[in-house]
Amino acid sequence: MHLDTDALASLARGCAVLGSGGGGPAAPMIPLVEAALGECGPVALVHPADLPADALVMPVGMVGSSAVGAERIGGRAEPARLRDRVEQQRGGPVAAVMASEIGGQNGCLALAFAARCGLPLLDADSMGRAYPLMHQNVLELAGIRPGPTLVADERGRTVVVDHVDGPHLEHLVRAAVDALGGRAVCSDYPLTAGQAADSAVLGTVSLALRLGAGELPEPLLTGKVTAVQRHGAAAVSVLVDGLGPDSGRLLRVEARSEFVAAVAEGRALALVPDVIALLDARTGEAVDVEDVRYGLRVRVLALPAPPIWYTPAGLALGGPEAFGLSGLVREEVRA
Amino acid sequence: MIAIGVKVGGSRTDAVALHEGAVIAKAVAPSLPGDPVRSLADAVRKLPAAHRAEAVQLSVGLNTAARAVMERQGLARVGVLRIGGAAVDAVPPGFGWPQALRRAVLADWENVDGGAGLTPALRTPLDRAAVTRFAERTRGRVQAYAVTGVFAPADGSQERESADLLGAEVPVVLSGEVAGLGLVERENATVLHAALSSLVARLADELTVAASTLTPRATVLVTRHDGTLAGLDYLRRQPGLTLGSGPASTIRGAALLAGLDDALVVDVGERRCRIGASTQGYPQEARAGERIGGVQVSLRFPELTVLTDPLHRLDELAEAVDSMQPGAEPLPVVLVGPRAAAVPDHALPGLRLLRPEHGEAAGAYGAAASLVGAGHERIFRPGDRSDPDGPHLDAVRDEVRELARAGAVRAGADPRSVDVRVDPELPVPYLPGAVLIRARAMGPPLPL
Repeated sequence: MHLDTDALASLARGCAVLGSGGGGPAAPMIPLVEAALGECGPVALVHPADLPADALVMPVGMVGSSAVGAERIGGRAEPARLRDRVEQQRGGPVAAVMASEIGGQNGCLALAFAARCGLPLLDADSMGRAYPLMHQNVLELAGIRPGPTLVADERGRTVVVDHVDGPHLEHLVRAAVDALGGRAVCSDYPLTAGQAADSAVLGTVSLALRLGAGELPEPLLTGKVTAVQRHGAAAVSVLVDGLGPDSGRLLRVEARSEFVAAVAEGRALALVPDVIALLDARTGEAVDVEDVRYGLRVRVLALPAPPIWYTPAGLALGGPEAFGLSGLVREEVRA
Repeated sequence: MIAIGVKVGGSRTDAVALHEGAVIAKAVAPSLPGDPVRSLADAVRKLPAAHRAEAVQLSVGLNTAARAVMERQGLARVGVLRIGGAAVDAVPPGFGWPQALRRAVLADWENVDGGAGLTPALRTPLDRAAVTRFAERTRGRVQAYAVTGVFAPADGSQERESADLLGAEVPVVLSGEVAGLGLVERENATVLHAALSSLVARLADELTVAASTLTPRATVLVTRHDGTLAGLDYLRRQPGLTLGSGPASTIRGAALLAGLDDALVVDVGERRCRIGASTQGYPQEARAGERIGGVQVSLRFPELTVLTDPLHRLDELAEAVDSMQPGAEPLPVVLVGPRAAAVPDHALPGLRLLRPEHGEAAGAYGAAASLVGAGHERIFRPGDRSDPDGPHLDAVRDEVRELARAGAVRAGADPRSVDVRVDPELPVPYLPGAVLIRARAMGPPLPL
């Protein structure tokens, strides 16, 4: 299968759904990817098992502020330069690009990088959704080491971070991005196609395309946002009051950098690592946490995350406790 | 003191004369397609001659610019200069524009090395030679330049330097004076501004001539998209500033007529209705994603919901009004526009409805009763590691305040009575410690 500009709108919509309200806005990435595909042609979407097990895979994602990223939009030479640096570090050719985070903007960015590098894109990623911290990914759970991680700005200024554990990676990369002025592209958790086949979340680009084309689960509730309470900078509570067939039902959606819980009558109908998306009922587009406002008509959806996120180790890294949510139990019976 | 306000709409042109904020006369004339200044003159001439003779301010709401972009009429050929080089060449200028508009406007473009950053340490030197080469290559072939530098809203020095190199033969529009962060959308907005420069210059000339006989003592001002006004000299430098101004002056006029700072405004026409919100007397801005003529721009237009055929779809009207409410405590609703009376009270149940007198001319009233204004914004990171001796938040806040004040004065405000409001600082997502500082300044026009 090849990805071209026709697939792009669906991909962006689907990535926004998988962003669970975070991961940076996907829609502004469309011109960047469209230009790359227009210049370099369609990109092959491949399964990791289609590649030799020792073939090198380059994960890629943007780190920093999306406001700065909207200003420093990136260069045509940036993807190939990052690939060259990765090859220098790894001592061999890169065979494919993979999104480090399918949710939000990074799911789209990886396609632009694949196009400009002339490489296939893996139908996989390292999270299966969006998470705020770099080491909140399934490669970390699989014991794959974060380094050497490359952090580069669009002029090629590059920082190599190595011999660190996951949490420490986050600190060092944030410091590097800060010094680079708030925006960088990062290739972390270097891996082979074999490791990707065993440990990455598989099929997530296809999943995003299907979600973006409208193959969505039944909503938990369709209604109107009747309150948005911000508790400090990080925490938001959203009340959604049911409309139409859902009239009389009330859902409280808790958010941090992503939507993390959907609670009705004291029970969590969905709870992180579940993906929770609020779709604007008028446009069908997923709404970011920071864009939720009173009066918006939304459909609240939940999708299960990859199974590994529900193991004890997965929950410790990316479950409710990781977001400071306690006392919530996920409703086990869910269609 | 008499102020006259005019709104040239699609089918009708309203004019009102105000004395100390109260309507003392009003008139309406049909809008003549393609001739906004004659439409204006027809309406203003119907006002009593004594009022016209005394008027010190003629504020005009025009839809000419938006129309020109939509219909691709009268647009200047633009040379587009981007400053950022290899750091920002992933999307070329004019990318994704409708073909016909791109062909009509984009004469040539170049992306030269340079660009600012969040701090001076992150600045890249401007490739002056490349700018000069571009100037030579395009001389005589373009009618205007649009210059867009990376982070120009925070540091516009390289845009000004480039403008000097491009020369003074044709208008040069600088992105840092046009819109905020977001390179591609700001560049798009800047190119549209530049494309409107010839048309707007003619319009300004015609307005000056018309006003000299209609309202000989009046300062001529135009409405802009944030509900403030600007003088004609400023309009020539920022030719697109009237884009989005129609709804803005209506929202402001409706709120003023109803005597409310915070309200929803429903502007009901024959075929469509526009719903917006007034916050502290000024139009609430849309978050992002505005398009003009199929082009994504980062101009701060009023947030609007537009409904077609509203009088036959009252359910939709009620729902649209409800979804514009900013909170659970509903704002009162001001109904204005020529068909406001046709919306029955029961269509908007449970809400306080106001139908102010002169509401059919709310746009003209808003134009007459508004102030000259400008805004400025900057992203700032206090105590930046790369620049430990850099400025402090208080100093930057003062600078932003002064730049907003200077902007209002350039737009035509009386420097003796400009009022500046600094918004509460907002954090910038994923940029620890950084804040967005915004200031808005406004004041009465300088009586010259």
